[in-house]
Amino acid sequence: MNFNKVNEILDMPKEVGTNIPKVTLTGFEEIVIENYKGILEYEEFFIRICTHIGNININGFGLKLNQITDEAVSITGKIENFDFERR
Amino acid sequence: MILKRIKNFLLGYLQIEIEGFFIERFFNMCAKEKIKLWGTKRKNKIAVTTKINIDDFKQIRKIAKKTSSRVRIKRKRGIIFEMKKYKNRKVFIFLFFTLVLSIFMLSNFIWNIEIIGNEQLSEKEIIETLNKNGLKQGSLKFKIDSKKIIEKIRLENEKIAWIGIDLKGTNAKVTIAEATEKPEIIDENEYCDIVSTKEGIITKVNAINRNSISKRRRCSRSGTKINRRMDGRKIYRSKIHAC
Repeated sequence: MNFNKVNEILDMPKEVGTNIPKVTLTGFEEIVIENYKGILEYEEFFIRICTHIGNININGFGLKLNQITDEAVSITGKIENFDFERR
Repeated sequence: MILKRIKNFLLGYLQIEIEGFFIERFFNMCAKEKIKLWGTKRKNKIAVTTKINIDDFKQIRKIAKKTSSRVRIKRKRGIIFEMKKYKNRKVFIFLFFTLVLSIFMLSNFIWNIEIIGNEQLSEKEIIETLNKNGLKQGSLKFKIDSKKIIEKIRLENEKIAWIGIDLKGTNAKVTIAEATEKPEIIDENEYCDIVSTKEGIITKVNAINRNSISKRRRCSRSGTKINRRMDGRKIYRSKIHAC
């Protein structure tokens, strides 16, 4: 893991100190990805997000991008499954 | 959630449609420029609809050019667009505000004076005294010092025993209690005469001290003096009836 020792000692949250993504799944309807690098593919049934340490794939129906900011992406819709690939 | 929607409505946002081959690149460039997009839906393979702030929309042209995509405005929402609808109806808005303002201003005056409780005094007199002391139709409400007016009227006017002024809205309710006449106080130690009230014949006069004017058997009309006292003894005024 590439976080500093200072961050480890102060017990800061990891996604704040480094550029590691954080994925929050609320139910099966909403996914929030913080600290992402870019959107690779965006279809209604398939979304692929690129992060600093790999890609995240999300499969589902009726997927919409609820909010796009430069720090977080919020995806809503009927999510079937999601997985990730290490770099 | 709802506050965010209110804020977006207040500031104004557009619903746009983006058409092109590189939608994902479009999104990434927007995120890099710190432009917020919300409510995105995919329309078809090459088109997407999103909502974007008015301020950010100006920067989107550069991004659209770089990604060779076409941007079209579907809908405009916001307070500033509602105001543009009323641009041709300035007179309406102006009159509306003057109406509201004039209602507020006019309610600061007194337009109606109502008097309760007067039986002998006429309303005109009371209104006149009120006008003299400051409570007039059309005077400003906060300039009327009802306490001072009450004090003045109570001191000056003898016929009014009690007066109360109640200012409700634009009405002035004045309650009055009139003063009853004072009874005449007779000093019982003074000299006085006995006077008969009715016509009749005096049959007997019992004078305790011996000074009697009238003689016996004399008709006396009401009003003539019968007896006269020379010293000050207690007497009671009495009515002498005809026998």
